[in-house]
Amino acid sequence: MFDPEKAITEWRQQMVAAGLQKREALDELESHLREDIQQQIQAGLTTQRAFENAVERIGGPQALKGEFAKVSRRTGILGMLKGFLMGTRGSELPPLVAFTADAQQSLQIARAEAPRLNHDFIGTEHVLLGLLDSQSGIVANVMRRLGIECAVVRAEIEKVIGPGFPAKRVAADIPYTPRARRALALAVKEAEKLQQRQVNAEHIFLGLIKENEGVAGVVLRNLGVDVNRARDEIVKEMNLRKRAG
Amino acid sequence: MLEKELVAASTEPLILSLLSQGESYGYALIQEVKRLSEDKIEWTDGMLYPVLHRMEARGWIKSRWGKSENGRKRKYYSIKKDGHKVLKEKREQWTAISSVLGGLWKEQYV
Repeated sequence: MFDPEKAITEWRQQMVAAGLQKREALDELESHLREDIQQQIQAGLTTQRAFENAVERIGGPQALKGEFAKVSRRTGILGMLKGFLMGTRGSELPPLVAFTADAQQSLQIARAEAPRLNHDFIGTEHVLLGLLDSQSGIVANVMRRLGIECAVVRAEIEKVIGPGFPAKRVAADIPYTPRARRALALAVKEAEKLQQRQVNAEHIFLGLIKENEGVAGVVLRNLGVDVNRARDEIVKEMNLRKRAG
Repeated sequence: MLEKELVAASTEPLILSLLSQGESYGYALIQEVKRLSEDKIEWTDGMLYPVLHRMEARGWIKSRWGKSENGRKRKYYSIKKDGHKVLKEKREQWTAISSVLGGLWKEQYV
């Protein structure tokens, strides 16, 4: 007598043996298999025949493993942010899952800063203001240790770029400039270099420093921020935090 | 049967279009595509899932575990705001190609 439960268990073991080990993906495939078997039985097939058809249709373990592997290769931070960083239309907003809560908050502040300065874009300068105002205060601390107060940074930004005409866009639609996206791409690289799963505020700050040519870069230079020292301070701050747990 | 490359390229717009009509799950999506294409589009069933996962990772769709009518575990997918934007984009692209071809073939045969 054909035992469908036993057959499904064995099928699942074969998938695991082939290297498809993510439990959630297997649960989903199993759910599909059961669905297909049930539909065929209702259509009049024997349980065994239904099982065999379903297994054939779902695909062999090797082929499936290959496809799933392709996905996970692309789902690092870079995979999540690819469309946004490349400026593909339809992905103007960075997916928030790629950022820590602190970094998300900074980006939200950056989005709010733009219309406050009558700008209808989010540039490196708004991102910098977002970092300085974020609750963790980590970037603000580093700046202070470099001898620079947040208010000075804000004043310098306004001096360099000046307020624009009243913005026409609503805050939610304001796009990032290519330079700001580049800075975020560099931030992703920093995060990946340190093998972290999300981009945090410090990574973004490093990204801004490395990007260098945007308004944030100019402002930091005007204020006499030594890029290498800022970098060292950020790395020091990150290590301190890591040690503190 | 349609060419493999064409089927592959149309997978994401198909999924986004179906999900824009409401929440669904893998098996139902496959059946729906088979039905609508009169069996001309045939996906290897298992291959749909990596595509769904990729689209979820990109923030176009989201998923939740729920229950089927007879109480079995089932993973439901629904479209997100970014997914709607991508769908609009893809729709423009496919419409452009289809209208160019349509125009050329009309001239030829009328």
